[in-house]
Amino acid sequence: MALLQRPFFVLLLVLTHQFMQYWIAFGSVNEEGQKQEEEFNEELLLKPLPDRKVLAHFHFQSSAPPSTSNGRHHHIFPKAISQLVQKFRVKEMELSFTQGRWNYESWGGFDPIPSSNAKPPGVELWAVFDVPQHQIDASWQNLTHTLSGLFCASINFLESTTTYSAPEWSFPPASGNLRYGTLPREAVCTENLTPWLKLLPCRDKAGIAVLLDRPSIYRGFYHSQRLHLTSTGSGSEGMVSGIILEQTLTVVLQPNSQRAGMAYASERHIQPSWSLTSIFGKQVSGTCVLAKSSNVYLLLDRGLVAELEHLHKENEKSAENGFTSQNFWTKPSFELSADPDRIFIEENSLHSKGSSVLYKFQVEKYSESEPFDLSLTWKIPVVWLSQQAPLHASRFLMGSGNERGAIAISLKSTQLSEGFMGANADDERCDLQVNVFQVVPWYVKVYFHSLQVFVNQQPKAISDIIEKIHVSPSKDKVSPGVMEMVLKLPCKVNSAALTIEFDKGFLHIDEYPPDANQGFDIPSAIISFPNFHASMIFLKDDSVNKSPLLSKFQEKSPVMSYTEALLVPLTTPDFSMPYNVITITCTVFALYFGSLLNVLRRRVAEEERFLKEKAAKKTGRLSLLLSKLSAKLRGAWNEGSLRVS
Amino acid sequence: MAEISEAHDSDSSKSTDNASEAPTQPESEPEFNPKLMRKTKPGLKRLFLTFSVLFSFLLGLQFLWKSVEIYRSPLPFREIDSLSTQLGSDHLIFPLHFHALFVGFDSDPDRLRLSILSEITKLTSQNPKCSHNYTLSVTVDSGSHCLHSPTTSPHSCSYQCGSITAIDFDQNDDVAIDERLVPVFGGKTNEYSVVVVKGESERAVVGKNRRAWVVVGSGREVEIAVVKVAEVLVKVFVNGGREEGSIRNEFMPVGADGRIVLSFNLLNADPRDWVYDWDFRKIDNNLLAPMIEALGPVANISVESQVLYHTPKASFSYWDQQLQSYVFSTKDLPFFVNSNEWHLDTSIAAGGRSKILQFVVYVPSAKECPLLLQLPNGEISNTNGFISPMWGGVIVWNPQGCLKDDNKPTARRTIPMQDLENMFEVFTGQFRQLFGFKSVNIYAGASGVWNLLPSERGFTEWELDVLSRQHTCFNLHSCASTLGSLSRLVQSLPRMIIMDEIGKQVKFSLEAAKLAQSNASNGVYESSAASSRQARSLAEDAFFHPSIMSVSYYSFEHCFAVYSL
Repeated sequence: MALLQRPFFVLLLVLTHQFMQYWIAFGSVNEEGQKQEEEFNEELLLKPLPDRKVLAHFHFQSSAPPSTSNGRHHHIFPKAISQLVQKFRVKEMELSFTQGRWNYESWGGFDPIPSSNAKPPGVELWAVFDVPQHQIDASWQNLTHTLSGLFCASINFLESTTTYSAPEWSFPPASGNLRYGTLPREAVCTENLTPWLKLLPCRDKAGIAVLLDRPSIYRGFYHSQRLHLTSTGSGSEGMVSGIILEQTLTVVLQPNSQRAGMAYASERHIQPSWSLTSIFGKQVSGTCVLAKSSNVYLLLDRGLVAELEHLHKENEKSAENGFTSQNFWTKPSFELSADPDRIFIEENSLHSKGSSVLYKFQVEKYSESEPFDLSLTWKIPVVWLSQQAPLHASRFLMGSGNERGAIAISLKSTQLSEGFMGANADDERCDLQVNVFQVVPWYVKVYFHSLQVFVNQQPKAISDIIEKIHVSPSKDKVSPGVMEMVLKLPCKVNSAALTIEFDKGFLHIDEYPPDANQGFDIPSAIISFPNFHASMIFLKDDSVNKSPLLSKFQEKSPVMSYTEALLVPLTTPDFSMPYNVITITCTVFALYFGSLLNVLRRRVAEEERFLKEKAAKKTGRLSLLLSKLSAKLRGAWNEGSLRVS
Repeated sequence: MAEISEAHDSDSSKSTDNASEAPTQPESEPEFNPKLMRKTKPGLKRLFLTFSVLFSFLLGLQFLWKSVEIYRSPLPFREIDSLSTQLGSDHLIFPLHFHALFVGFDSDPDRLRLSILSEITKLTSQNPKCSHNYTLSVTVDSGSHCLHSPTTSPHSCSYQCGSITAIDFDQNDDVAIDERLVPVFGGKTNEYSVVVVKGESERAVVGKNRRAWVVVGSGREVEIAVVKVAEVLVKVFVNGGREEGSIRNEFMPVGADGRIVLSFNLLNADPRDWVYDWDFRKIDNNLLAPMIEALGPVANISVESQVLYHTPKASFSYWDQQLQSYVFSTKDLPFFVNSNEWHLDTSIAAGGRSKILQFVVYVPSAKECPLLLQLPNGEISNTNGFISPMWGGVIVWNPQGCLKDDNKPTARRTIPMQDLENMFEVFTGQFRQLFGFKSVNIYAGASGVWNLLPSERGFTEWELDVLSRQHTCFNLHSCASTLGSLSRLVQSLPRMIIMDEIGKQVKFSLEAAKLAQSNASNGVYESSAASSRQARSLAEDAFFHPSIMSVSYYSFEHCFAVYSL
């Protein structure tokens, strides 16, 4: 079937390509002719996930063209962001707030969504500056403070040189002016979402953002709110560069199962049916009037489509109905409450597995009286797997005790991508390139010489596997340790592991965070595969280019994944220690001075002599007692008289 | 208790024993053991030991003292004190030169001068902070010759005798007369001149520059003229024509770093009804730029604008059948600004201590259009706007006819340029009000009404002079009090680290303050305002230096915690 479709696609591609060239030429004339304006687009992508969950990906894009008044006068674009870009000369920046961990195994790791929107837990911030080398750190520190105020988060903790690093080449937007920092323990909640929403012209008052019902989105399994801005080069002299601000919110939600009491034999294989109301508790009642486009997409990923095609074929065989491949997508194994305005099918050139399908719904058609509430009802049970990154990365700690340990990064081949490798397998020297970027705080003192590499459980010489390595060792209380590596693994690799040993350092008492006994977080390592590109290429079309989300999907970005954040228990002191020390010191001082004074004042020999004399004089016990008694009485009498007086 | 008393007892018994035993010494002599008797003289060794311990302790104390010593940059405390005493004892005196020109009179200039001076002293209210030192010269131009008083005045020299006549004032175009007067008194002089002429149509006008003229009718013209001249000099040229106590002088909408950010916001209450946009860049270049330039010495002003959507007001209006519109009454004004939904935002571009003035154009939604503001006396506000001192101003702008375009509600419309210009006139008035000036062009004094000519820059030259003087005065006092507090704070906390940077800032602040003082006493208002602004901002920077802020809440008890040292 795929073979039949191929020539048709190619022909169309050739035609559209020619048309596109013409259109682009026309477009540029148009741009010069009329002044560009600030734009805003809102989009939502929904995608069923294999483990009965639903992914919702909100994508809002505001753009400001290059102009002389950027940072001062704005119509739609948020003034605060523009001023931030002008003040700190930010070339590119990304800030993400995440709660929960992206489940690479079941939610996939190869699509554009996980590879650019799956983020490490907590806050991640990186920025590229357009300033001279010596000013970058100052700009970064000011930027962290500003963002901290803007987003009500403790991003200002990234100000300290111990928390951020400057990756040289392993982080994808690699550049010398890049700074990267994470706060794994930052809690994310509505106080961060509200300022983020304030950057949208309609906030959550109208348009797709109405769906952002706080209780539903924070109930989800994964929640990542991201802000990415790029400043585009200035058009001409005296113009301030334009800015593209991309705000995304990715949530993974569990739809409440609507069908109760339906007794299917394979109940647990039945995907839950859902609708916007059932997952968000709200529905879209119109667009944000300021948005240039306002669309909702439903994405069926490659695995699901392949499975559906397979099921469809079986059906065809058994029932012998005259289904053709053409009406397959119009009569699929599920039902949608609304008719899609358009169906995009992925241009499938590399992946044998099938091509993803995208349904587009335009929100403009709906209004308050007729709100948009997309619902999806499955008719048959489907089981599928999401496409994985070539290797699945996980990271863990080894060793015990509070003195030393080891960090291990384990890479396991995912069976799914085998076919992928097969394509290159005829080549004798087939290599799989893996970039590893890891930042370790200074109190975890890593011994870089102890790096060991295992491939398929066999130890290997480092020089065989590691093609390039860049290490900047940590300095105590000054900078974290950074390790960047390029690994060249054989294509047929089943598993690979890296281990590195470390000693746990001691902190000064005021460097411990509150609740130090919980342990210290080591930020996630980033594993990227520069030879694999997460992109979905759709048939070139006018509407694809107009949609920022779809054009984002078409960009060739390397596949990236984050490992888990590690929790290292460090020796924590007894925090009442200073007071114990003070007490002990004072006791020692008191003993010293007391005995010294005693030695200086008392004349031991003389006293002994007098005592002896006394003993010789008054031997009678009775007299001794009497004298004592009289002395006491006298004392009491004296005291009494004193009190009276 | 028992032990102590026992010890006491044993001590006392010992002493009594000693005393009693002294005579009995010979008796116990035979029992004396020579082995136990000390051989050396008592005290010397013991004394030596005691002193050596004491000495080593003192030696160690010095080391300890040295090790916990902290760095304190020397601050010029004496100069700070002298600055505040100088300002306190009325040393900031602004010299003002007045010139009264009587055209077509033939009175004695000396007598006129004395009577004007006596009127001026009657009117002058002593400002406790800053005073003015004025000199007055009077010229009487009787057509054929001129008489000066005092004859040696250096300021009246610029006037060429006979260059103006009463005929010049016959025309009704005040602007033209104002232009005509510029070359007469020389283009660039700091003196304030009043021209008195005889004529039919009595009027009193204050020009855009530092000139005013009075046309008096026949009769007791000299007496009236003297009162009027004194009033215009004191009330208008010196005090800026504002009423006493309307807005206090301390209410200066200028940030501590001498900057103002004018943030203009266009609020579309409900964009589903209509979306209005504006061409702010044009307004900024054409209308605001001259005013900002004029106010340059007083404050460093920057302008920014944004358009916000979905921003309803916080309170409700009611439908008035008579006016065919929705009416919002004055008593509800505090609830007009909706701080939950109007995310006007502080500016990132502005520094931490800049003053941000928000100017808001509110476009009501279709269900409350047209929206009018009602004054307390029941009338409808002409400007349809209000100010909030130190915050900014709000104008309600109703779209033409309040017509909702049902076919294309989402189309972005632009506010017509004419409406925008009217709006910015109101904003200029509001801005003037925030600075304490009147928004109307009339000054009603005790002796009559003065017509004030408005400037296209928003502020006339004499108003700018008033602002400059007032700012210099306010800034210098604020600088002195800030530095005074800093020096008191530093002296009260001997354990506080003082960075070199603070010392430098204090030094520069004092230098700038001195420069401002000397400029003020020479009558150079603009540069004195600028350097006083610098002095104040440096003083504030020094006081709010982050290293001080962290230590100023440091309590003495912390010294006991070993680890915090």
